[in-house]
Amino acid sequence: MRTIAGNEDPAASRDSAPAGAYKTLITPSAQARLTLALAGGKAAGTAARMLGVGGGTSFPGIVARRIDPRVLQKAAAASDARKVIVTGSNGKTTTCRMLAALARAGGLRVTQNRSGSNLLQGVTSAAVAESDLLGRMDAQMLLLEVDEATVRLVAPELRPDTFLITNIFRDQLDRFGELYSMARKLEAVIDGLPASATAVLNGDDPLVASLAPGASARRLYYGIQAGGAGGQVPEHAADTIRCVRCQHMLSYRAVHLSHLGDYRCPACGAARPPLDVAVTEIRAFDTGSEITVETPEGSYTLQVPLPGMHNVYNAAAALAGQIALSLPRPLGPEQARRALAGVRPAFGRLEEIRAGERQVVLAFVKNPTSYNTTLREVLRRPGRKHVLAAHSNTVVDGEDFAWLWDTEIEQLVPQLASLTVSGTRAEEVWLRFKYAGADPALTEVLPGRLAALDAALTGTPSGECLYIFAGYTPMRELRGIMQRRGWVRPSWEE
Amino acid sequence: MTPAPKTVRICHLYPRLLSVAGDRGNLLALTQRCTWRGIRYRVTEADVGEVPDFTQTDLILLHGGQDREMTAASRDLAAKAGPLRDAIESDAVVLAVCAGYQLLGRYYAPPEGEPIPGLGVLDVATEGGPARFIGHVAAACDLGSGEQHQLTGFENHSGRTYLGRGARPLGRVLAGAGNNGEDGTEGARYREVYATYLHGPVLPKNPWLADHLLSRALAHRYPDVDPLAPLTDQAEARASAAAFRLARRPGGPAGRWRAAAAALSRFRRPAEIPSGAHLAETSANGGADALSADKETRWTSH
Repeated sequence: MRTIAGNEDPAASRDSAPAGAYKTLITPSAQARLTLALAGGKAAGTAARMLGVGGGTSFPGIVARRIDPRVLQKAAAASDARKVIVTGSNGKTTTCRMLAALARAGGLRVTQNRSGSNLLQGVTSAAVAESDLLGRMDAQMLLLEVDEATVRLVAPELRPDTFLITNIFRDQLDRFGELYSMARKLEAVIDGLPASATAVLNGDDPLVASLAPGASARRLYYGIQAGGAGGQVPEHAADTIRCVRCQHMLSYRAVHLSHLGDYRCPACGAARPPLDVAVTEIRAFDTGSEITVETPEGSYTLQVPLPGMHNVYNAAAALAGQIALSLPRPLGPEQARRALAGVRPAFGRLEEIRAGERQVVLAFVKNPTSYNTTLREVLRRPGRKHVLAAHSNTVVDGEDFAWLWDTEIEQLVPQLASLTVSGTRAEEVWLRFKYAGADPALTEVLPGRLAALDAALTGTPSGECLYIFAGYTPMRELRGIMQRRGWVRPSWEE
Repeated sequence: MTPAPKTVRICHLYPRLLSVAGDRGNLLALTQRCTWRGIRYRVTEADVGEVPDFTQTDLILLHGGQDREMTAASRDLAAKAGPLRDAIESDAVVLAVCAGYQLLGRYYAPPEGEPIPGLGVLDVATEGGPARFIGHVAAACDLGSGEQHQLTGFENHSGRTYLGRGARPLGRVLAGAGNNGEDGTEGARYREVYATYLHGPVLPKNPWLADHLLSRALAHRYPDVDPLAPLTDQAEARASAAAFRLARRPGGPAGRWRAAAAALSRFRRPAEIPSGAHLAETSANGGADALSADKETRWTSH
């Protein structure tokens, strides 16, 4: 029997116990402990919400795991729901939203975790909230966005049927160590999947496509096959531009986003694998794109309601994930089209906010690729740019902001009309903009988020637009302030 | 009569291969600080397979990378070794960061796999360690003028570097791990080579170091150079002070490393590193050929 990277009890394995048979294996004392843990976790969540200390997203998981460390494992094993893990550096949240929409259209009741709760405790919280006190879940699909550094802990407990990797970009190296050591951990997860499971992999990412070649799980590769698209690899943000096998520089027939594209190694011949789900046509608009996708289940023409090439990848990932799930009601082209067209951006993803007389565009940026992708969308818009840039060092956002120097902030500076920097690392952001050419004397340095937002809005004439580039935590804080002012609805990510 | 404008000739080694943690910010710091003073600069990039004319270079940048990239750079560095070593011996200025630092040493022995040979211009050796040193660092530096400077930045490395007799540390660790988390040293110096584990990148936050490199690079080319014109370094000073506070905060990653390193050093003597003459012996049963003491022969035989 194969074990997933981890050290959990094999007694609960699917291999020895068919789905649903777990209840007969669990001892009364183990069941009692599970019930206690679920009750404790639920009570903790209720208490946190009543006391108004956050939405209680990781606290229930912490409490439940303290009472029964195997709570997630037991609850997952007891459920017949399809279990899906989506991981990778970029696009997790949007891919999950798209996949959930497709799965719901295909007749599944779907439960998701919140994007900011994608560590072990947050994932456990989602399972605690979904389970009744006996550990039974009502959902038919448990869709979990999991942090790429945490997935090696979550996967052995959850035992996913579908494991989707969007891409591997340089993202917070202080937390994840080196790219390749992270890749090895993801590889261990794929290697541990049973033959009945499916690994959905981005074939256009050389590192992702090369993972776990000997794994027994079914593999589905997705990517972009459209001719004519693509350009050169940007130098500063490209993470995997060398051949994974022989280190030679890869040559690309087309590059669609950073290092994602149709690659081939001129030295050893390693190349992009044949795509199972291939985007063959892309017609891009300002607000989104229309794509044609060839899949084993036929051809789809879809409206991607979010702009940018990264969202084309997210849509392809979701479509591939949907095929891996084998839905109870297979999606016809028209149903898929309608389901995807209804997907709204996750909060903070170039979110348009009406702030009285002014417009605010809230953009969540976390690594060079997401920053540069966002910059490209912002620079397409006319007019000079009023900017608020905020980063804080937190557990979620990391400590090391060296990656700010790998962004193309230089391209924004000629269009800058005003600049405010904020967050607990405001000075670091200030320094980055100074060396990009922004006048340091004309920059407002206000670490407090409230003061920074007010100053930035004051600096934005009415009728104009303020662009906010922020890391996860300051983005949530700034959005919270705007929510209290009635400019945005509460985040609806549950 | 106004003097002719001076030009600093910068060579950026492996800009694509070794560029992992925002280190291109170092080049940006150097070029911007030239621009702001009306000093001209010329940047040459040299990747794998390209041997620049090091005799026409005043300042060389060699940055960090991951183990794989470092192996590829090490292999390629063999072809550049002779001229690069000559340039260093004639006082060309070098900034080496993280993997670049390790590559200038004798070798880097990763936890798994063959040791990666280095250029050997720095009398240091690096051993892979069980855990990574990740966190903010603050160090005190004296580059010989008697003036104390504060160096701040971020480290992320599993290699433990030990200095031999031929290398001086760049600074003394105030917070963080530095070279090895044991002996309180950070980085290394030899002639005009300045090597450090600090990325972040290191030069924008430490403008005194950027300016030191620039003035030494100008002195490398021109017999008579005026002191660099002062700049308003307010943003730099505040960013460095903020980084210093982060490095010194109790209970932070740096604080934990400091405590762990202190605990360790009570039990373990700093490891002896082999000096040049002993290098062949140590490696006799390992990657013996790659670590031959006869460095010149080895580098040119590839």
